[in-house]
Amino acid sequence: MIEAKINGKAANTNRFDSVTNEERLHGFRNILALYINFAGKSFQQQLAYKFEYFIGVFNGLLFIFIFTSLWQAIFESSPVAGTTGFTLQKITAYAIFAMIIRISMTQDDVSTIAKIRSGAISMDMIKPMNYFTMLLAECLGQTLFHWATRVFPIFMVCLLAFEISIPSSPWLWTMFSVVWLLGYMLQFMLNFIFAMIAFWTVETFSFKLMKYGLFTIFSGGIIPIDFFPEWLMPFINILPFQYILYLPTSIIIGHISGDMAINMIAIQFCWVIGMGFMCWKMWTSGSRKLVVQGG
Amino acid sequence: MNAKQADKTVIKVDNLRREFKVAEAKEGILGSFLNLFSRKERIVKAVDGITFDIGIGEFVGYVGENGAGKSTTIKMLTGILTPTNGSVEVAGIIPYENRIENAFNIGVVFGQRTQLWWDLPARDSFDLLRAIYRLPQERYERNFRELTEALDLSKLLTVPVRKLSLGQRMRCDLAASMLHNPKILFLDEPTIGLDLIAKDAVRKFLKFINHTRDVTIILTTHDMEDIEALCERIIIIDEGTIAYDGSTEKLKQDHIHTKILEVEFHDYNPELENLPMLEVIKSEANKKWLRYNLDGTSMHDIISTLFRDYCVKDLSIHEPKVSDVIKAIYKNGGMERASVND
Ligand SMILES: Nc1ncnc2c1ncn2[C@@H]1O[C@H](COP(=O)(O)OP(=O)(O)O)[C@@H](O)[C@H]1O
Ligand SMILES: [Mg+2]
Repeated sequence: MIEAKINGKAANTNRFDSVTNEERLHGFRNILALYINFAGKSFQQQLAYKFEYFIGVFNGLLFIFIFTSLWQAIFESSPVAGTTGFTLQKITAYAIFAMIIRISMTQDDVSTIAKIRSGAISMDMIKPMNYFTMLLAECLGQTLFHWATRVFPIFMVCLLAFEISIPSSPWLWTMFSVVWLLGYMLQFMLNFIFAMIAFWTVETFSFKLMKYGLFTIFSGGIIPIDFFPEWLMPFINILPFQYILYLPTSIIIGHISGDMAINMIAIQFCWVIGMGFMCWKMWTSGSRKLVVQGG
Repeated sequence: MNAKQADKTVIKVDNLRREFKVAEAKEGILGSFLNLFSRKERIVKAVDGITFDIGIGEFVGYVGENGAGKSTTIKMLTGILTPTNGSVEVAGIIPYENRIENAFNIGVVFGQRTQLWWDLPARDSFDLLRAIYRLPQERYERNFRELTEALDLSKLLTVPVRKLSLGQRMRCDLAASMLHNPKILFLDEPTIGLDLIAKDAVRKFLKFINHTRDVTIILTTHDMEDIEALCERIIIIDEGTIAYDGSTEKLKQDHIHTKILEVEFHDYNPELENLPMLEVIKSEANKKWLRYNLDGTSMHDIISTLFRDYCVKDLSIHEPKVSDVIKAIYKNGGMERASVND
């Protein structure tokens, strides 16, 4: 019987040779196709949770309404806020765009931590792929979904409900696109770095809380950086958070422009490079350190 | 050692070790507070110096009790865990140094996990895998057709994976692990938690691919029936070290020197004074279960005496089971660690 088996094998072997490296699809187009595939599948996965996006739209509008009302109350007594240059109209635009940009950058920052903790990350690591870029592609797929289901509807409602002027200069929109993308990357990498901490310690909650706290306050998502006291500025300036929300929002409402804008974009770009390096470092040493739980 | 193995070695493991530091947590509220400051660490030697070679096309059962170190070994072979010490080579690649290159060569199934995307139908996961493994379309389609047929997946492919039963999901996972024509297939407890029908489907499939493809298979299990049904070679691991490595058949021969006779008599149950070499292990109505030693009297003598002196109605001889052998080895405290190479 064993004889027969070996013979059977020999007869069939050629048909089932393993795929050689030459045979594999190479080249930029195929790599791109892979990542588009990832993004598409992740978009598709979002469809499984239909209810959530209605909540998302509702929440977004609610927050915009709350913040604009708050600013209105604050600005009632004095029309201009000190040296910041913010008028009521400007701060209203800021509040609206900050919230919309924030929603446009919504990212899943829990799945990697959960995977590392449960050990399910091993199922990604047995595949010949780069976890970071795979995750980024998935994230972009989700973002596309958020754009279609949340950002666009919320923006439409805001256009009708508020008097906001949309810049028409293509140069400004180009600059905004670049800044948005870099800000998006910054947030993605920040989440990634914090997720990597799970490789070393199971205690990730306090780190997450810290990240969330710092982000909420210093990203400029709620209050523009200009409103913080002078003595806090050195601290804020050594953190990357303002380049995630404050910078894109300020550019789109025309609060920051010219040389100042170029300067800040340069710094933002440096942050992206630096954090990219940090992500790579943390992934290589973290995955080596990986102690896969269970099974 | 069989001829295939002599031909070409595809997995080389040499004196492989992996230790884990385990914090000994104190209990209670005060304990968990104290844990913040001082932790006693204990070192667990999960894999403690194992050595083996596996040849192309072999089907090896990697067996041991819970916590013996099976999964830890598999994780080092797949490149997701770095060894503390020793060397490991899979198809000429050091897995933990070159995880991605290694991943192209291997297929992996972990019984308690899935490599499929939870919210997507398996069909879409397969499509993603095609892109990840950068398979030529024609090759992918051929594999896809063959695997769906062999595992009878056609009805399962359009259902989101989270809605499949464990057995159905395992079938999809098996297909996923074979889509890219891996040279080596690692299976870590693929039959765990499955019902008999599903287990049978898995075994049939594994037999099928071992027949039709020249894939090397390493199967981790603590289900001895898997081993008996599938593996020509067995490696038994006990507390991180190898207790036995050799052919499954030889293991039985070497370690079991007894067989069991089940005898049914004609409406009586005699004392067998004429056969003192038989040990009665059970006696029930007109049936007796008798153990006899292969080294003693010949089988022929026993049977002829039985039929000559007693009224035997029916008789059957039971072969020893691999699980009995393993129990015996464990009982001896892994004394017989020899016979690694035959
Ligand atoms: N991540 C880990 N951290 C600490 N100890 C571990 C870890 N993984 C495995 N071990 C220990 O190593 C030993 C072997 O585990 P494992 O290889 O999973 O066994 P098996 O798969 O044979 O049941 C066990 O004692 C287990 O507790
Ligand atoms: Mg295990």
